This record gives sequence, C-alpha cells and structure tokens, in this order.
Amino acid sequence: MRYVHLYLTCIKRSMISRLEYKKDTLVALSSFFFSNLCSLAALYFILQSIPALAGYSLPEVGFFYGFSMLPIALDHLFSDELWLVAYRRVKDGDMDMHFLRPVPVLFQVFAETFQPEGFGELILGAALIAVCASNLTVAVTFGSVAVLFVGALFGAAIITSLKIAMAALAFIFKRSGPLLQVIYNFSNYAKYPLAIYPDFIRVLLIFVLPFGLFISLPVDTLLYGKHNPWLLCGAIIGCAAVFFALAVWVWTACERRYESTGS
Amino acid sequence: MLKKYKPFLRAGAMDTLSYRFNILIWAVITVFQVACLVFLWLAVYRSSAGGMDAEIHGFTFREMIAYVVLTTVFNYVTFNNDTLWNINNDIRKGTIGNYLIKPISYRGKFAATSFGSLLTMTLLFGIPFYAAALLTLGGLGFLPDLSFPAFFVHLGLFLVAGLFASLLNDVIAYIFGVFCFYTTASWGLNSLKETLISFLSGTLLPLAFFPAGLRKVVSWMPFAGMSQNPVLILMMKYDLAESLRCLALTGAWIVALELFAKLLFSHAIRKVTVQGG
Repeated sequence: MRYVHLYLTCIKRSMISRLEYKKDTLVALSSFFFSNLCSLAALYFILQSIPALAGYSLPEVGFFYGFSMLPIALDHLFSDELWLVAYRRVKDGDMDMHFLRPVPVLFQVFAETFQPEGFGELILGAALIAVCASNLTVAVTFGSVAVLFVGALFGAAIITSLKIAMAALAFIFKRSGPLLQVIYNFSNYAKYPLAIYPDFIRVLLIFVLPFGLFISLPVDTLLYGKHNPWLLCGAIIGCAAVFFALAVWVWTACERRYESTGS
Repeated sequence: MLKKYKPFLRAGAMDTLSYRFNILIWAVITVFQVACLVFLWLAVYRSSAGGMDAEIHGFTFREMIAYVVLTTVFNYVTFNNDTLWNINNDIRKGTIGNYLIKPISYRGKFAATSFGSLLTMTLLFGIPFYAAALLTLGGLGFLPDLSFPAFFVHLGLFLVAGLFASLLNDVIAYIFGVFCFYTTASWGLNSLKETLISFLSGTLLPLAFFPAGLRKVVSWMPFAGMSQNPVLILMMKYDLAESLRCLALTGAWIVALELFAKLLFSHAIRKVTVQGG
C-alpha cells in the first residue's frame, strides 16, 4: 500500500515536470504515431502486390501487427527508464542517489518515469485491431478473447522482465544498452505470423525469447482455433512468472556488484 | 577559404575512428534485422501469383535481397553524423555562443565534420563491406548481370551519389537540429526525421511498391537520393541517363535545402534560449 502511494506521488511529480513541456510531449507523441503509421503503410503496400502472406489475408496480417503493439505499448508506458539505466545512467554515475534511499532501487527506477507516448501505440494498435476485425469473420469464444487479454498483459510483463535483466547488466558492465536493443528488437519478428519463419526461428520465438508465445499463438487461436486457449493462458502466465522471478533475481545480483563511476 | 574547416574534418574522422568498436554491436543488430526482412520477402515471393520466380514491381526475389543488403550497408557507411544532437547540446549548454563569435559558419563546421566521418567510414568499412556484399551476392547469382566496363562507370556515379546522400542527410539533420531552437523535444524531432527518411528514401521498401500517385510525388522529393537511387545505380537497375537525372535532382535539392537552412538559422538565432552555460 505504501508503495502504491509512493509510486503515484513520484509519477505525479514526473508528469508535472512533463507538463512544463506540453509542446514537446506532443512532438514526441506524434513522431511515435507517425513512425508506426509508416511501417504499417509499408506492410500494406507489400501485401497489395500479393494475394495473401503465407496463407494469411491482409486483415489477418493487420490484426497480428495491431495486436503486437499492445504488449509493447503497455511495457513502454511503465518501464522506459530502463533504457536510460542501460545506456547512460550507470555510466554517468547517476544512480548513486537511488542507493541512498530506503526503497528498492528497481522500484525507484520504475517510479522515475511514466511514458504517456505509450498511449499513442495503444490507441493505434486498438484501432488497427478494430478495423481488421470488422473485415474478418471469426468465431469469437470466451476463451479466445481471454487469451488475447492474457497475451497483452502478461506479454508486457515478459517484455519488461527481459528489459530488467538486460538493464541490470549495466551495473556490471557500465553500459548494456546495445545488448538490450538486440534482445528487444526481436519483438519486430513477432509482428508477422510465425508461419513465415523457418522452424528454428519459430522455436526460438516460442521457447527462448517468447515474443511468439504471447503474440502469435493467441492470434492464431482467435483466428483459427489452433491451440487450446486455457492451456495457452496458463503457459503465458507461467512463463511471465518465471521471467519476472529471474529478472528480479538478476537485478538483485547485479545491483550488489554496483560500483559508482563517480560524478 | 575552406582551409579553416580542415580541423573539423579531422575531428569528424577521429570521432568516427574512436567509435569503431560499435561496429560489432551494429553487426549483430543488423544481421537479425536483415534476416527478418529476408524471411518476410521469402514469404512474400512464395505467396505471390508467380511464385519464387515472380517479378514484383520490377524486382525479382534475388534482386530484392541484394537491395535489402546493399541499402543496409549503404546507410551504415553514409549516415554517420550527430549533427542534430550536437546542435541540441550547443543550445542547451550555451556553447553555441562560442561559435557565434568566431569567423566560421556554424553550418560549415557540421558539413566538414560529417564529410570527415564519411571519408573514414568509406575507407575503413565501406570498401570491405561493399566488396564482401557484392562478391557474396554476385557469387550467389543475386545481382543482375554486371557488364564490366559499364559497371565501373556506375561505381563512379555511385560514389558521387553516396557523397550527395551524405550531404543531403547532413543538411536535413541540420534543419531538424535548428528546430531545437524552438522546442526541447530533440528526441521526438530526431525520430521524426529518421522515420521520414527511412520511409521516403526507400529503405523500408523500394518506392516502386508505393501507389502510383504517392510514388510520383515522392520521386520528386529529395529522399530517394539518400538510399534507393544510389543503390539502384550501383545495381545497374538504372541506365546512365536515369542515373544522371537522379544525381541532378539530388544536387538541386542540396542547394535548395542549404538555402532554406541558412534562412531558418538566421531566424532561429534570434530565438535562442540557453539553459545554463
């Protein structure tokens, strides 16, 4: 309870400082919106020139793309500060202040920023899903909708966990941003149906960096009823729990080895 | 007259040299990115009406892969400036004052720096990377038949196109940098610029895939000269006349944008808000 209160206070403070620069938030928001729009347009132009992509029609591919934006957007709202930790803050000796406070460092990092830009992605993703779904005829069941919610929410938790673990390495190596980038970029693969990839990439995207587990498999379940929705829900939640536990463990282990670089 | 910019040229070259270890990370990120695109195009051509041998908007599958690889290398070697960030820093820290009282042009300083880094990148990475890419692609039969004496002409034009692309990229970065006088949203401005360039230059997708109306408009914009046109000149997809026409258009844009940048800067400099310094 105390932490909820603390989090809200910190976020309020960070939002107030953001509001000083309203115009800038607007520029940042629209640039995000625009960049997603361009990738979408590119995909649309490609699909215009072929009947279907590996058996998936245009609205189906659009649905995949839109759904992939949801967990990414949710993660983006809450954990953007991890990028700064990985790229800059440890290297610049800027983390010391967090170690002096009687609250876990990881909590403080999350309380540092709330990124409203994520809402742009969330809205665009939802709009894309709505447009594509209205062009599709699928038998919607309670289970297949549930698995989408679980995929988006717990998928976000998996992405955040991966980011925590990669950012934590900065405590040892001073700068882990590029590594975080490499891992994070795999989310680009999950924007398309898994069917376009060879087997070893599919295995990688389900069992190792599970972007496919919480993006592609739930969508396949909704569109084609390919998997048992409740089993899949269980698998995603279990995977999120394991990833989160591992991430916190890695973070704590790395944090203990932190040496300030001075200021 | 140009002599006073030589230190900046050298500084750009040295800067690039000191970051040469970044290349490893770039290589890892890029290999995965290119692989993703290759899988996507593979699925696209497999799913097309004509199958793997289809030609979609003038590109066979092999040419498309060559295009993806060559634009990736081209962008890495050619676009290497921190112009926007440096201008933003100069404004925020107040160091811009130092340049305003010196008898050099602020724009000239950046042009020289980015030319320096282009030279380093081309010599250090460009030559081995292009050679490796061309030999591999050629060996796999992924390049159209290169008829030899003509290829050297295209190679020469390609080098000019690369220089033009670098200048164009630098002046665009400079214009967006000058926008930092009006807003502190440098991060958003930079991502806007990158998106604009990657979409309209043909990096994301060759412009031939765009719908006819949009393609017509975009082909008159400066962006195609930054990525698509140089690579298609190298791949000999453009004949000599077409190549020269592209270069002329890009050259004209450089002049126009430099003039615009000059006007914009003289307006912006009256608005400068320094934070600290």
